[in-house]
Amino acid sequence: MRSFSLIFKQFSRSVLLIVGFAFWGFSAVYAQTDAAKGEAIFKSKCTACHKIDQVLTGPALGPQLTEETDDKYLIKWIQNNQALIAAKNPKALAIFNKFEQKGMTTFTDLSDADVGNVITYIRADWKQIQDDKAKGPVGGTTVAEDKGPSELAVAGLIGVVILAFIIILVLNKATGSLEKILANNKDIVIVEEEQVVTVDKKAELLKKILKNKKLVFFILVCGTIAMGSWGWVTLWNTNVHTGYQPVQPIKYSHELHAGTMKIDCQYCHSGAYKSKNASIPSLNVCMNCHKVVKTESPEIHKIYDALGYDPKTQKYDSTAAKPIQWVRVHNLPDLAYFNHSQHVKVAGIKCQACHGPIQTMKEVYQYSPLTMKWCIQCHKRTEVNGKGNAYYDSILAAHDKIKKGEKVTAAVLGGIECGKCHY
Amino acid sequence: MDSNKKYWKGLEELNNTPEFVEKNKNEFAEPIPIEDLLSGSGLSAKTPRRDFLKALGFGVGAVTLAACQKVPVHKSIPYLIKPEEVTPGVANYYSSTYEGQAILVKTREGRPIKVEGNPNDFFTKGGLSAQGQASVLDLYDANRTQDPKIDGGDAAWPEVDAFVLRELAAVAASGKAIRIVTSTVNSPSTLAVIAEFTAKYPTTKYINYDAVSYTGIIQANQNSFGKAVLPHYNFDKADVIVSFGADFLGTWISPEEFTRQYVSNRNSKSLESKKMSRHIQFEAGMSITGTNADNRYPVKPSEEGIALLSLYNAIAGTSLAGSKKVSNKAVDNAITLAATELKAAKGKALVVAGSNDVATQTLVNAINSLLGSYGNTIDLDNPSKQYAGNDQDFAAFVSELAKGTVGAVLFLNANPAYDYFKAKEFADALKKVRLKISFSDHADETSLLSNVVAPNHHYLESWGDSNAVEGYYTVVQPTINPVYNTRQAEHSLLIWAESATKDYYTFVRNTWNTSLLPKGGLSGQKGWEEVLQKGFVKVAPAAAGSYTFSHDLNAVAQTILDHGNSLVSGDNFELQVYQSVGMGDGKRANNPWLQEMPDPVSKVTWDNYAAMSIADIKKLKYEEGDVIKIEANGYTVELPVLAQPGQAQGTISIAVGYGRTSAGLVGNNVGKNAFPFYSYRNGTLQTTASISKFGKTGMISTLAQTQTHHSYEGRSVIREASFTEYKKNPAAGSGKEGEHKDYNKESLWDDHDRPVYDWVMAIDLNACTGCGACIVACSAENNIPVVGKDEVKRRREMHWIRIDRYYSYNDHGNSEEAVTKEDAIAKLDNFDNVSVVHQPMLCQHCDHAPCETVCPVLATVHSSEGLNQMAYNRCVGTRYCANNCPYKVRRFNWFNYWNDSRFDNYLNNEHTQLVLNPDVTTRFRGVMEKCSMCVQRIQAGKLQAKIEKRPLKDGEVKMACQQTCSANAIVFGNKNDPNSEVSKALASERTYYVLEELNVQPGIGYQVKVRNLSETEA
Repeated sequence: MRSFSLIFKQFSRSVLLIVGFAFWGFSAVYAQTDAAKGEAIFKSKCTACHKIDQVLTGPALGPQLTEETDDKYLIKWIQNNQALIAAKNPKALAIFNKFEQKGMTTFTDLSDADVGNVITYIRADWKQIQDDKAKGPVGGTTVAEDKGPSELAVAGLIGVVILAFIIILVLNKATGSLEKILANNKDIVIVEEEQVVTVDKKAELLKKILKNKKLVFFILVCGTIAMGSWGWVTLWNTNVHTGYQPVQPIKYSHELHAGTMKIDCQYCHSGAYKSKNASIPSLNVCMNCHKVVKTESPEIHKIYDALGYDPKTQKYDSTAAKPIQWVRVHNLPDLAYFNHSQHVKVAGIKCQACHGPIQTMKEVYQYSPLTMKWCIQCHKRTEVNGKGNAYYDSILAAHDKIKKGEKVTAAVLGGIECGKCHY
Repeated sequence: MDSNKKYWKGLEELNNTPEFVEKNKNEFAEPIPIEDLLSGSGLSAKTPRRDFLKALGFGVGAVTLAACQKVPVHKSIPYLIKPEEVTPGVANYYSSTYEGQAILVKTREGRPIKVEGNPNDFFTKGGLSAQGQASVLDLYDANRTQDPKIDGGDAAWPEVDAFVLRELAAVAASGKAIRIVTSTVNSPSTLAVIAEFTAKYPTTKYINYDAVSYTGIIQANQNSFGKAVLPHYNFDKADVIVSFGADFLGTWISPEEFTRQYVSNRNSKSLESKKMSRHIQFEAGMSITGTNADNRYPVKPSEEGIALLSLYNAIAGTSLAGSKKVSNKAVDNAITLAATELKAAKGKALVVAGSNDVATQTLVNAINSLLGSYGNTIDLDNPSKQYAGNDQDFAAFVSELAKGTVGAVLFLNANPAYDYFKAKEFADALKKVRLKISFSDHADETSLLSNVVAPNHHYLESWGDSNAVEGYYTVVQPTINPVYNTRQAEHSLLIWAESATKDYYTFVRNTWNTSLLPKGGLSGQKGWEEVLQKGFVKVAPAAAGSYTFSHDLNAVAQTILDHGNSLVSGDNFELQVYQSVGMGDGKRANNPWLQEMPDPVSKVTWDNYAAMSIADIKKLKYEEGDVIKIEANGYTVELPVLAQPGQAQGTISIAVGYGRTSAGLVGNNVGKNAFPFYSYRNGTLQTTASISKFGKTGMISTLAQTQTHHSYEGRSVIREASFTEYKKNPAAGSGKEGEHKDYNKESLWDDHDRPVYDWVMAIDLNACTGCGACIVACSAENNIPVVGKDEVKRRREMHWIRIDRYYSYNDHGNSEEAVTKEDAIAKLDNFDNVSVVHQPMLCQHCDHAPCETVCPVLATVHSSEGLNQMAYNRCVGTRYCANNCPYKVRRFNWFNYWNDSRFDNYLNNEHTQLVLNPDVTTRFRGVMEKCSMCVQRIQAGKLQAKIEKRPLKDGEVKMACQQTCSANAIVFGNKNDPNSEVSKALASERTYYVLEELNVQPGIGYQVKVRNLSETEA
């Protein structure tokens, strides 16, 4: 019996194993046609040129793949469209010509199953989009409803405040006139005497305090010091706007772009390396990515509006274009000349040295005081970065003769002379 | 040994008039009322305590309120789509053309802010005239016509086109003539456009009309050699130059080119090889060319012909019928001497005359032919195309108008209603024309008479080309979108001609593709791009042939003598009408930079005047500034008198280009119009006349003259030597010959370290002609405000660089010694023979700067690069520095010129402020300013070298004044580098420092002026 059971166990194990393997295999196969996997591939490989519901560089894939039901052809096309075109496949040529013979990137590394997944995903997503569209209007009203109450609430709040104010006024008046009536009815003299007494008490206390010369002196000294230091600090900080953080017309986040996405500062602020102005990027720089990235965001649509760009037709209408008016955060006075390229390109200073942890700023604020003291402090401390720059060879040599052994800072090379920045 | 020769800038200085002495005691022209306050009731008067407190309270309150304003929110607006080649903050340079000369246009963020000469330009090799420098400001002129007009009302372009096409069709149907009147057109494309227009409307003829024409020369060449051309002169090939009234360094034909050529035989390099040209000038009024001449003789206009005949006789050894001697013995001697020298320099001699008279120019041709000038100093085979105007054509045109046979007239860059001598007659005749179209970009005098105004682009907004001299083709390319609603004239003409190519750019491209690019061995898009980058195509010049004059001169001589006689009647004064260097023919009268540029000779700004000789003024008991009434050729004008040393006695000189009535708010009614003094004689316009009547009006109009605004209190600042002395000892006159006193042995100041750079400048007084281009270039580069006539009168001009013009007596021709002693001067009243030195004066960047030691707030300090720096926002305006500056080069901002409605017409309006250099601060009221040695350019040059990781090269950084100087009189560089150009220049024996005896150790060295005086008279 034992042996039977053993045999049974072994058998059952092997059966289970087989079944298990089969199930695993089946599930693997099932996973291969999984839309989720297709979505991952789609997002990494296709979105640069395609959208499901819109024509981008390439056709809108939703309607395209719903119309075209021949999956074999589709897989061939996606894997190597050039081969199909070379073979003069009529369908392939038609689409090739429709899109100005631009041709599509070949994806020979994708297996048939991979491509199949992508197709599945696209079809499913397209269906979802169309279903959503049918429900469209409902979503719209909810949004409107969402906005409504907030405005109403503000108006209501203001109304309540005004109402309260009016009530207080009326009550005040009422109590005043009531008091008057009461005063008329009561014995006036007694009330007045009481009042005089209290005033006298207060005055006596004040007199006492005033007679204490030490206390008066102490208070005066404290007051002077407090006022003086307040005045001192205020005057020194006149027109110093550290922390200035104006609201910008577009909610652009440096935290996202420079921090999370790690986009090089220079990608947008290319002027910093060539010019005195770091320059705010022109909108065509934004469009390098945002033609496809986050196209639904209302903030991105502000860019489209400014450019007169219609994301549906992908056409620019220059007559509708209107520039975006950013609010300048760092305002150096006109009398000071500052050149970004000198600092960034020549000296190799990091942007963060002056602009602070820009990669963590959701909205940019002024980090440094931008005062002359601040400039000069840095010029006195910073050693000149002359390595590998032939310009400095003769200059550092000349200065080394004078300043033996000391470190050569910007100040040593005349970096704190008036004419370096003021002309 | 210091020379004790006396130099003076103006008569008031020479005579030390009490007013002058009094004025010079004070730092400023108008006393500050502090004296009244201190001496009068000011301090002793009692201010009641309550009033004092009230004033104090009000003051504190007002200041507090004024300070209590929100910090303005600055907007930053980036490009929507940034053009690839534009980086905000970095200047782009585009090649283009200014009046036939290749230029570079500096643009910042899409707006042109400065014009420079193209370093490879055929004419100047990088120099540019004052007018060229100022031309960029015209682009932003708020008085430009901003929209097309029909009958004075604004219209849209399609309306204009429809109207003009309808009218032209009607005129063509009526068979009446169509005339296009232009100032000289040498653009191949424009000529082709006019040809297209003519093909469409066959009754069209185009007339070249120059306000100041050279018809005389062209006609004379036709008569003499059968070539109706304006020759190309080579002053660089001439060892002896004799000029009869031709102001070739100031206004004559191609002055910038001639300056470069002329100076190449007189600058340091030439002197070091012991070579210097000789230049003798005979003229009536003192011109800038006269001031540069080695010998200058005042000659009345009526005697100019006689003098030329004498010269011909002396060279040819003949005696033409009727010739006689010049009345002035000294001039007669000089002519004999000039003839000898010219003959000795055969093949390297050049005689030029400024007259527009055909006979006179024919005689000049004969002289040049005898001297073998053709093929050497004069080139008839590669002629100049700068002026092709024909006076006869225009006169014929006016009579056509009067007859009523003209149906339509188009005016392109021509303004005869102002600059034609019979403007009234012209205007009346023009009324008979059905269609009058003006392309003027200003509402000028002629466009007011036109029914259609189709405003043309400024040249910086245009496409085009130019061919100013045979074989030299330059391209005009736009550097900005049109500022106003204007359209290029050629484009309009193409539309009206219903041409197949309506777009003028395409038209220009076609012209270049078919005919001009192949000339330079180029073709296609690549060739075109190369031209756009380089700016020009130069074809190898044809060999200059030699021409011999072989006509009978007796008839010519008779005409010349008749012409001279016609100017003489009794003791009448003679009138000479000339162009001033700044204003020229008056087309740029609305340019405040040019109006404020002091005239190189008289130093007068914002006016023209009647220049008279000092002897005449004394005789007639006039005072400078007296307004006199002058009548000649039936035209009367009232102008203030200017005492001009060197003016021929019995003559009055008046500049044209002034008295515009419709130039714009800047140029309107500045001075008086002198064009009507012209007369038409033998087919050309004459610039001389006999004055029938003149006398005082009793009015006084003070001239805004800057000549004695900055006094050295009689200290010697000019050094000069004769060429003979120089050859014996190159240090002659520099103060270094013989025992040289070392002024710098002992010093109260510590020395500054200048470890790397020591920026210095060398100015060659022998190269500087005093033209004033540097003044305008500096104004454009450094945002220097224009202050206007009234402020200039108060000595408040703001120019950082000025050109001091010094006169000195010079008694050559007589046997006496040169006048050097003061007592001898007093006895003299002959101001005819004066010699002139021009000295550019700017901040000397002294190493021991007197200004630095007196500044109480350290606003002006020394840099480790040898610069004297000025920190504007540190300055509190004590003006001690200006007081202590021995060179008087510091300027005080009396107003906030950039935000004050009084200065709106000049630079302070939203359009003209676009011309500001964004790298230079505009200064506020109450601060001092002065030459910064273009520190922004030094810094930019260094930065460029740092970015490219290489040392800074010598000559890489150029000062604005240096860059525009066609004479290369200014050299800038690093004195620490022994191989730099400036070190070499300063090492010259001729170098001296102005006021070096003060031991201020100036950073700018001047080189002694050398005069090539004749051995026989020196």
